[in-house]
Amino acid sequence: MRTISAVLALALLLGVLGMASTTVTNAQERPFVVALGAEPRSLLPMLIVDWTTNVQQMNIYDRLYYWDGDPPRIKPSLAAEPVQTPDELTWIIKLRAGVKFSNGDSLTSDDVKSTIEWLLDPRNQSAYRPRFAFVESVDAVDPLTVRIRTKEPAPVLRYYLVDFTVHNSKYIRQVGNEAANRAPIGAGPYKFVRWDRDERLVLEASPTYWNKPPVVKRVEFRFIPDFSARLASLLAGESDIVKDVPPVSVDQVNRSGGAEVRGIPSSRINYVALVNFKSGPLQDRRVRQALNYAVNVDEIVANLYKGRATRIPGALSAINEDVNANLKPYPYNPDRAVQLIKEAGFDPSKLEFTIDSPSGRYPLDKEAAEAIASYLGRIGIKVRVQVNEWGTHLDKIINRRTGEMFYLGWGPALEAQGTIAELFRPDRAYSGFGTSNLTLEINKILPVVDRTKRKAAWNRIQVMLYTEAPWIFLWQQHDLYGVNKRVDWKPHPAEKIFLHDATWVKR
Amino acid sequence: MAQFVARRLLEAVVVVFLALTAVFCLQFLAGDPVKLFLPTDTTPKQIEEYRTRLGFNDPLVVQYVRFMRGALRGDFGNSLRQQQEPALRLVLDRFPATLSLSAVAMLLALGTAIPIGVISAARRNSWFDHLGIGTTVLGQAIPGFWLGLMLIYVFAVWLRWLPTSGRGTWLHYIMPAVTLAAFVSARFARFTRSMMLDVLGQDYIRTARAKGLAPPRVLYKHALKNASLPIVTLLALQLGQLLGGAVITETIFAWPGVGRFLVQALLNRDFPVVLVGVFLTAVMYSGLNLAADLAYAWLNPRIRYA
Repeated sequence: MRTISAVLALALLLGVLGMASTTVTNAQERPFVVALGAEPRSLLPMLIVDWTTNVQQMNIYDRLYYWDGDPPRIKPSLAAEPVQTPDELTWIIKLRAGVKFSNGDSLTSDDVKSTIEWLLDPRNQSAYRPRFAFVESVDAVDPLTVRIRTKEPAPVLRYYLVDFTVHNSKYIRQVGNEAANRAPIGAGPYKFVRWDRDERLVLEASPTYWNKPPVVKRVEFRFIPDFSARLASLLAGESDIVKDVPPVSVDQVNRSGGAEVRGIPSSRINYVALVNFKSGPLQDRRVRQALNYAVNVDEIVANLYKGRATRIPGALSAINEDVNANLKPYPYNPDRAVQLIKEAGFDPSKLEFTIDSPSGRYPLDKEAAEAIASYLGRIGIKVRVQVNEWGTHLDKIINRRTGEMFYLGWGPALEAQGTIAELFRPDRAYSGFGTSNLTLEINKILPVVDRTKRKAAWNRIQVMLYTEAPWIFLWQQHDLYGVNKRVDWKPHPAEKIFLHDATWVKR
Repeated sequence: MAQFVARRLLEAVVVVFLALTAVFCLQFLAGDPVKLFLPTDTTPKQIEEYRTRLGFNDPLVVQYVRFMRGALRGDFGNSLRQQQEPALRLVLDRFPATLSLSAVAMLLALGTAIPIGVISAARRNSWFDHLGIGTTVLGQAIPGFWLGLMLIYVFAVWLRWLPTSGRGTWLHYIMPAVTLAAFVSARFARFTRSMMLDVLGQDYIRTARAKGLAPPRVLYKHALKNASLPIVTLLALQLGQLLGGAVITETIFAWPGVGRFLVQALLNRDFPVVLVGVFLTAVMYSGLNLAADLAYAWLNPRIRYA
């Protein structure tokens, strides 16, 4: 019996050790539960660019400006009014009066200044540092006025101030980064309660929030990595919001009785880049145009996506504030495609391409790539679909090791510069295309602060891009959220889950 | 005995060192972590700056020496993905969850597998034997992710008796522990059965029976005690495996344990975290093996180590 008792003793010991740290939740009123695939990578603001991380942080910190409405337009939140630009190098942010952090400290211009200086400090390794590299100085002019001076005209700053979260400078100086990450203090609608690693982030309504108090008093972000398990938690009534329901599961959710799918055309676009960095047929504009004529995008949207994707005619979607609304999508015309390829001096049946695609990163990405390959196959072009693990896919794009084409999604894309300047200049990391003329035109607009002039220039460039056909232009993806019927919450095109907007359904 | 322990400890140190060195070298095959952490609008030049600052541009030898020096002091550096946080603490934070789930699963597995093994051996080729061993083999043959999802759909979504996933109350333990135990128990049941069959054929069992001892007493007091020694070895190995993290079970049930965390770290190329995981797993395996050897000496006074 000694063996058995030894085994039992060991097992019991391990069990006691483990259970001692288990927390038992009280069965009070159920909190509002958002099921996400992962925990935040940090709760320090302006450190990490990552949807999952940022969507949780904004509920704790609020933002200076945010994208509001549909189509989304910039509105002030912690700021009191739109940012002012008295000259090309100066930016003035007026802060809302009376904003308090959850510990009672007032939010002042010092906190904004300190946040910018913190992210610029290389020791903090903020991923936002490259974006703010043009900042010359930040001054707290008075407690509610921040002045940013830039080294060069940088109109893009207007967009970088959107979703800008502000830390409590006094607190972070006092406790340091590590402690502030473990117990963050922000000026958002919710204050931090608890973060059980890989398990849940618990928040409760902040009594000091500047806006009207949130209706939902207690919020939990639960981290459920497996999608089927996330869906199960929604179907079992344990979760209230689950993002990215696959189109095949939509009926299952809607039939469940307790939950439904709420979809919205997202500001994230999907496209197939036609890489012109290497020699080959894709150097010729006519071949690139032909590929656009050869793929029946509407049919893919209707059959594969069951209508849950919205076609884009050019590089920007209809909800982008800089979109050129005059562009019409390339029609499906395989004969025209063959003719163009022949005009360019190639025989379609001799063309062979590889398309690199991720799998599961965007809705039905691999399946879409396969559908595109099969349309190109119909006019004789042989296309091999190369499916990559996500990290490898990014590596291949950055190191220019993809095939002649690659599939990618981009967003949230709500203004032109973040898309066009990043994806159509050869020196940018995720670009697959560039011409000297295009680079010249893009570089000319970047310092222009006047918004009317900018808009006109972006319109012109979108026409250039349409003709150059650097992509097979595809669609805006639709974000499909599974939502518990007991909650009133509408999805937003910019993929935000700001729970100040959520309420319970009255029964 | 002291000499034996000292030698085994030294061996353990060598094992840990070799494991760390191997993984350190292998991680460079996984590709560059830096790009995964920077926003998409970062230029190649800025990416290079980050690589330099994080030390990824130094020669491999320099990186290796720096890593080993830190590791000796217990400093494995900060996580790349969860910046500003020490990798060691991130992994240690997740140990209690894995520990408690492993213990519950192991108790469940032993509690079912050993009786099944014993009775199957005692009633060899009976219906119980076929049913018992058949069921446990089925448990092992069913993939964990499938069993897990089926349990969730039946007991959480459909019947709503249990929570779908997560941790918090004892109810949360049931499904993940059953999923893990289903896999582990087949091995224990079959192992117990064959050890018992072996022992039951021995002369001293016949003697015990001839003396007129009650059959249960023969079975449990005389046979099982002697058959159980090899089970300790198996237990140490299985426990090592469970403590290393049951990746699939932890993922499906959103159990905040080590296995799920380390696999995520691997996919995200969070090298410091991966190295901590390898280090702790190597330490644990060595420790459990040592514990099993020592338990042998205690359980069977005839075994002594020179």
